[in-house]
Amino acid sequence: MTNIKVALAGQPNCGKSTIFNMVSGIEQHIANYPGVTVDKKIGFFKYDNNKIEMVDLPGTYSFSSYSLEERVSKEFIIDEHPDVIVNVVDASNIKRNLYLTFQLLEIGMPVVVVLNMMDVAKRRGIDIDSQKISKMLSCPVVEASGAKGIGGDEIMKAIVDTANAKNIYEEFKINYEELEPHIQVIEKTIKDSTSTLNKRWMAIKVLEGDTTIIQHLKQEYFDIEELAKEQVDKFHSIYDKDSVSFLATFRYDSADIIYHKTVKENNKGKETLTDKADKIILNRFLALPILFAIMFLVYELSIVYGYKLTDYTWPILAAFKNFVIDMMPQANFTEVPMMTDFAIWMVNSANALANYIPIFFILFALIAIMEDVGYMPRMAFILDRIFKKFGLHGQSTLPLVLGGAMVGGCAVPGVMATKGIADDRARMATILTVPYMNCLAKVPFYTLLLGAFFKPDMALMMFFISTVTVFIALIVAKILTTTILKTRETAPFVMELPPYHLPTFKGVIIRASQRVWVYIYKVITIVLAVAIILFAMLQFPGLSEDSKIEYELQSQKALQTFDIKAQKSSYYPLVDTKEEISDLLNYYDGYKSKRMATTSKEGALAVDETYKNINENYFKFIKPRRDKEAKKINKILRKLSKVRNKILRNMKNEKVENSLLGMAGKAVEPITQYAGFDWKINVAFLSSFAARESAVATLGSLYENNKADDMRAEEAMEKNSGYTPLHATAIIIFMLLTPPCIATMIVVKMQTYSYRWMLFAIFFPVTLGVIISSSVFTLGTIYSISGVDAMIYFYVTIVFIALVLGLYPDKNINWKGGLKLPTKSKGQYNIFDKNLRKEEN
Amino acid sequence: MKLDKPNQRLDMMNQGQKVQVVKIHTTGKLMHKLLDMGFVNGSDIEVIREAPLFDPMELKIHNYNISLRKSEASLIEVITL
Repeated sequence: MTNIKVALAGQPNCGKSTIFNMVSGIEQHIANYPGVTVDKKIGFFKYDNNKIEMVDLPGTYSFSSYSLEERVSKEFIIDEHPDVIVNVVDASNIKRNLYLTFQLLEIGMPVVVVLNMMDVAKRRGIDIDSQKISKMLSCPVVEASGAKGIGGDEIMKAIVDTANAKNIYEEFKINYEELEPHIQVIEKTIKDSTSTLNKRWMAIKVLEGDTTIIQHLKQEYFDIEELAKEQVDKFHSIYDKDSVSFLATFRYDSADIIYHKTVKENNKGKETLTDKADKIILNRFLALPILFAIMFLVYELSIVYGYKLTDYTWPILAAFKNFVIDMMPQANFTEVPMMTDFAIWMVNSANALANYIPIFFILFALIAIMEDVGYMPRMAFILDRIFKKFGLHGQSTLPLVLGGAMVGGCAVPGVMATKGIADDRARMATILTVPYMNCLAKVPFYTLLLGAFFKPDMALMMFFISTVTVFIALIVAKILTTTILKTRETAPFVMELPPYHLPTFKGVIIRASQRVWVYIYKVITIVLAVAIILFAMLQFPGLSEDSKIEYELQSQKALQTFDIKAQKSSYYPLVDTKEEISDLLNYYDGYKSKRMATTSKEGALAVDETYKNINENYFKFIKPRRDKEAKKINKILRKLSKVRNKILRNMKNEKVENSLLGMAGKAVEPITQYAGFDWKINVAFLSSFAARESAVATLGSLYENNKADDMRAEEAMEKNSGYTPLHATAIIIFMLLTPPCIATMIVVKMQTYSYRWMLFAIFFPVTLGVIISSSVFTLGTIYSISGVDAMIYFYVTIVFIALVLGLYPDKNINWKGGLKLPTKSKGQYNIFDKNLRKEEN
Repeated sequence: MKLDKPNQRLDMMNQGQKVQVVKIHTTGKLMHKLLDMGFVNGSDIEVIREAPLFDPMELKIHNYNISLRKSEASLIEVITL
């Protein structure tokens, strides 16, 4: 058995990922946006008695070292020495793709060219003579269609054949004519290098100023950089040509030769479907309305309809909760075993989150559709002008959308997607603003508060919440880019607008499920781990001895009252001990919660039947019907149950108040009181920094009764908290501004390569949040503004500030003179020149 | 190439105009990026449209579509065809 190492290379949007999935059988993230595949993806599989290791390199237009993706790819080639390079080429866009092919061929390793999307090319009337290409490039060329699953076997055959024929491989050379003597000089210099890489390739790369290769050679030839510069200058002085531009032109010309000799376009000049669609989608007057309509549709489908779906999924979760409680040891009147308490706590935490899975699934599916269709870069195109104004980049759109610019997302993938932004200043600003977006884990928290305090205005409030974050992010980005990020390097906006593609149902469902799974996985690991710690922090140090005695007395009294009254009934012998009474109470609670979890009449009858079978006598007390003696018991039982729940709630609140977390919450109350936060909210904020999901879990658990019942967190909060809608508004505004979670902060650290930026990303938003929510609450209280009105004022203010900043002229124009060309768009010409000068320095 | 026409800047071209690259007045990262995307001397460009907010412009080059900010397009010298 032989091992074959394969590198999969190709330009963005060539369908490389679908080819990878087809041959290796591993599903991964595929999108239509340049630069989504940044991580290294490996597939291990067997083919025809060969062990194949296939690495999916990031999509790059070129093989220089100017972007991170290109550096990653080149380092892989240098360090890992693949046996075969598979170059995926978009058959419908062959010329530009061949530009990369030439660079790959030059590396001096065997290449297999895969002409992907042959079906698309055929549909567009593009005839390609692949055999002729194969002959001209002297490498195997395979026709395929990843989306249709065609060509997988042929690709693998070509890979194996090429790997086996490695020893008869003849080096691929382009004759660079005028540049040849200079290449030769460098090649001669490095001919004794111990590097196993192709010398000629290295020589060419050195003349291109490729930093990766120069670093690679510097260990042996410390003066290689100067030597290269000398040759480049010489070439320039003889031919008045720049070597970089010369090489690129030469390769494009070579690609052009192949294109003209092997490709026949029958529909040339004819409008493609993409052209027709873009006439509407990118139309000057329609583009923005369409964009907002799409955003609104996404919002309606995911949040509004998704929320309605939870009405159907909630009973399932309630049933799960009841099932778990049934497994746990039963309570003995007001003495609830810690084990049971813990189980209820954990199930409540998990359920509060699981309830939102339908919303997430719809949202992720919609985002996947937009990515696959190719709408994302169009969004960047439409909105770049605005983003640019605030120091961001059109490419900030994707990270912001993933982070939750449209209704909800997750800052973790959002921050990670900033890798693709070439402009360093805009990239930093995007990293630091993505956490302001609507984290999906915050959405449950908002819906909880909205459900509790803004039922009639829920849609309006949700609209404010999901759109105001974008304005806040823009303001913050503007502030950051004009202050602390001012000295960062900027880069050009050069972005492909790929043709539209129909998304496949399978692809969308798989990706949506994967993302939902990530969410669930995060819930299981982080949130449940946090829930355990929190449970401990809420239990310790527990009730004081005095309180324990006090509650015990209250319990005794309640039981005595019951006992005295029960004697009047002929059923008294059945309920004359404490054990029997608590048994009956547990039976009663269990029945109540099961009845409420079922909505159908048949279900209710089934529950009745089950409980009748468990204990026929007890069932009489719960449903006495005409039995007068049983009715007496029923009446006092219900009363007793109420008293018991009250005692339990008081015990719990006291326990939480005295707990470690309660103390911490109280300790910051002096600051947060101006925002109207009491210690319970503080506890929720403190406890939720590990993962915002647990804010709902904590609040839900704090306000909910201890026993199994069907009351949702919203209802519990509304009934038990004592907040006004203005409180809720201040809380929402603070939540909008606080960074989502520890995971996000870790990713921020990874992307900025600094702990200082991470700390900044934590403390700046929190400070901002305290200040703004305090002002809103204090002003709202003074002028007795309602919660909704306070939100409207806040929203209008933020939008106003953003507009002022956006309309404020760019500061960069601070010089005059020079070559005066007639300008159509004033100012912009100069801005870029300034950036260039910075780059040259 | 028609020599009687003066060279112009790409950002000043209107929708539907067809031009040819003459020279790119830049260096470094941007130069590399533009070359890689096919803005080599002699390539044909068609101006497809401006973005709704007038700034980035959409171009067709080597039979695919690309968008450039006008600030970058202003560095590309072209002649109209």
